[in-house]
Amino acid sequence: MKQNLSVQIVFPSYELPKEYLTVIGQIDHTIITESTTPTLSSKNSIYVHSGLTNLPQFDFLKDLNVVIRCKFSEIIHGGHLIASVFPFVRRLNIVMTDIEVINGEDLDGYNNTLNSLSDVILKEYVRGHFVQTNLLTDRFMLDEMNNCNAGIETITLAPDGKFYICPAFYFDSGDYGLGDSCFNVGDLENGLHIPNIRLYDLEHAPLCRICDAYQCKRCVWLNRKTTYEVNTPSHEQCVITHIERNASRSLLKRIQEKTTLLPNKVIKEINYLDPFDIKPNY
Amino acid sequence: MSQQTIFLPWQEGSAKSITFIVTKDCQLACKYCYLVGKNSKERMPFEIAKGAIDYILHHEEIFPDESVVWEFIGGEPFLEIELIDKICDYLKIEMYRLNHHWFNSYRFSFSTNGINYHEPRVQEFIHKNINHLSIGITIDGTQKKHDLNRIYKGNGKGTYEDVVKNIPLWLRDFPYGGTKVTVSSKDIPYIKDSILHLFSLGIHEVSINCVFENVWQEGDDILFEDQLCDLADEIIDLGLNEDYQCSFFNDQIGKPLDPTLFNQNWCGAGKMLSIDATGNFYPCTRFAQYSLRDKHAWIVGNIYDGIDQNKLRPFLTLDRLTQSPDKCIKCEVASGCAWCQGENYDAADTPTIYQRSTAICKMHKARVRANNYYWNKLHRKLGIEEEKTSKHKESMCSEYNSYC
Repeated sequence: MKQNLSVQIVFPSYELPKEYLTVIGQIDHTIITESTTPTLSSKNSIYVHSGLTNLPQFDFLKDLNVVIRCKFSEIIHGGHLIASVFPFVRRLNIVMTDIEVINGEDLDGYNNTLNSLSDVILKEYVRGHFVQTNLLTDRFMLDEMNNCNAGIETITLAPDGKFYICPAFYFDSGDYGLGDSCFNVGDLENGLHIPNIRLYDLEHAPLCRICDAYQCKRCVWLNRKTTYEVNTPSHEQCVITHIERNASRSLLKRIQEKTTLLPNKVIKEINYLDPFDIKPNY
Repeated sequence: MSQQTIFLPWQEGSAKSITFIVTKDCQLACKYCYLVGKNSKERMPFEIAKGAIDYILHHEEIFPDESVVWEFIGGEPFLEIELIDKICDYLKIEMYRLNHHWFNSYRFSFSTNGINYHEPRVQEFIHKNINHLSIGITIDGTQKKHDLNRIYKGNGKGTYEDVVKNIPLWLRDFPYGGTKVTVSSKDIPYIKDSILHLFSLGIHEVSINCVFENVWQEGDDILFEDQLCDLADEIIDLGLNEDYQCSFFNDQIGKPLDPTLFNQNWCGAGKMLSIDATGNFYPCTRFAQYSLRDKHAWIVGNIYDGIDQNKLRPFLTLDRLTQSPDKCIKCEVASGCAWCQGENYDAADTPTIYQRSTAICKMHKARVRANNYYWNKLHRKLGIEEEKTSKHKESMCSEYNSYC
């Protein structure tokens, strides 16, 4: 805490004992809590919605930070529900919970949904409400990769007293292939040890280091699950983030036409959806 | 003999290598064998091979390569000659029936221990397919060196005598046939005599490599260098360099590699495909479970569900710099230093192919020193005849293909 560390604390769905809250109150922190949790109302709180069905009933206070966790198909079919949130929030992050099972058939639908969401965001920008969303506006605010960087910049301490690269490796005990790999990287007693730590670094990711879909989280857990390597994204991951990148490019151009915002920002046109197709042949 | 034919694999670079692991059984129990899970139970059923062939031939879009090498490996592949013959017949019929682009550009390839090369059923197969066939017999050199490692399973008896008697027959069938020699720690003292012995048997092409595993003892590099320098003396003094080649000597090795120009991976894993008895696909045979000491098999699909291209992406994006430690990137003698992706994976701290094993480092450096000695001596003897040496250089550039 002496190093100005800000701690993100994921709250459970039940009420915490008072002494916990007292300790938490002594440090600089951000609360991440389910939208149904007994209220801990704070401007710094991040409210997490699971699925889209409860969105219409939620009382969105102005300028909230909201996360929606949902399936890919929900995004495609529930775009109107997502769009209805934009006018009320400061930031909306949409997290796909099943990206590893997406196939090519859904991708056109995703593109269409992003275009619909862009229409709503454009209206908000025109009326002076500069709402942010990871899928569409982050890319035009970025000039370099803004990945999750788990393992390099962040580490997770789980309830079992062990360190993990990120929470997903703790929570998901599913089959990762290549045997029962243990993804804990130390514990409180013996300290932190991350073997092959360089593989979490962008420079050691041959596809990502040539990519300009800067908004991509480059999820190392998903990489490990889909390709067996933490530094290699799946084809589907790359295509999805490039659809977002290209939709972001279109939205940026429309914002520039309708407002005076971001006049010099350029996202160049590209002719691929997967950097694998342009990887260097040495 | 044209030197251009030596060391240049068939349809180099444009041929897909597809390997059937027809059996995990072998008559031998070679001491340096990386196949730790050999057994006599896992024999490929024909229906599995047929399923693999049907999948591959019906997916030309993911196998666009100009040519194909259908490779058969074991254990010892010729233990399953009946099965192999049936597979090859089916391949030929199907490639023809489907008007597949590989029909006029295919080859069957074998690496055998040579024990049953002479048997009628094997000979019959060879003569039936001779125009589309490559066979390499592994003989490690002198009887002393060969029998040090290449012994029968069970009684531990050396196999040299049973192999060497088939060499003339093999050279009759494949006059340009080459052999692969493997060097481990204990047989270093016999390298020179072994290479010369193989030349004397009429084998003109000897591909040789040190095992990639971490087996090397203190002082092995010095002994190795001495052996190679002695070998260089013999080859040059006797003028053997005119007609014979040993892959240890290559004037392209032992130079620093510019990171911006030379970043390609050494190994072809991922560009190849292996199929085992259960119908699983692997990026190379070295990633099948019977090849791995400490890691789990890296399966990239199966004949029923097809290939999961995502599981191949790490192989197809792998480059030299990303997997190499700093000492390799900055190495003054980096060129020609080989690695095996499977061994890298097996030896890595985590289940990754992006951690290069450097167990072979001191042996490579010793090879480079001896190699410099060889070329300096040869140049002095000949005067610098650039035309001749550059021709040799071209033919040696692809030596890695013979290394696995």
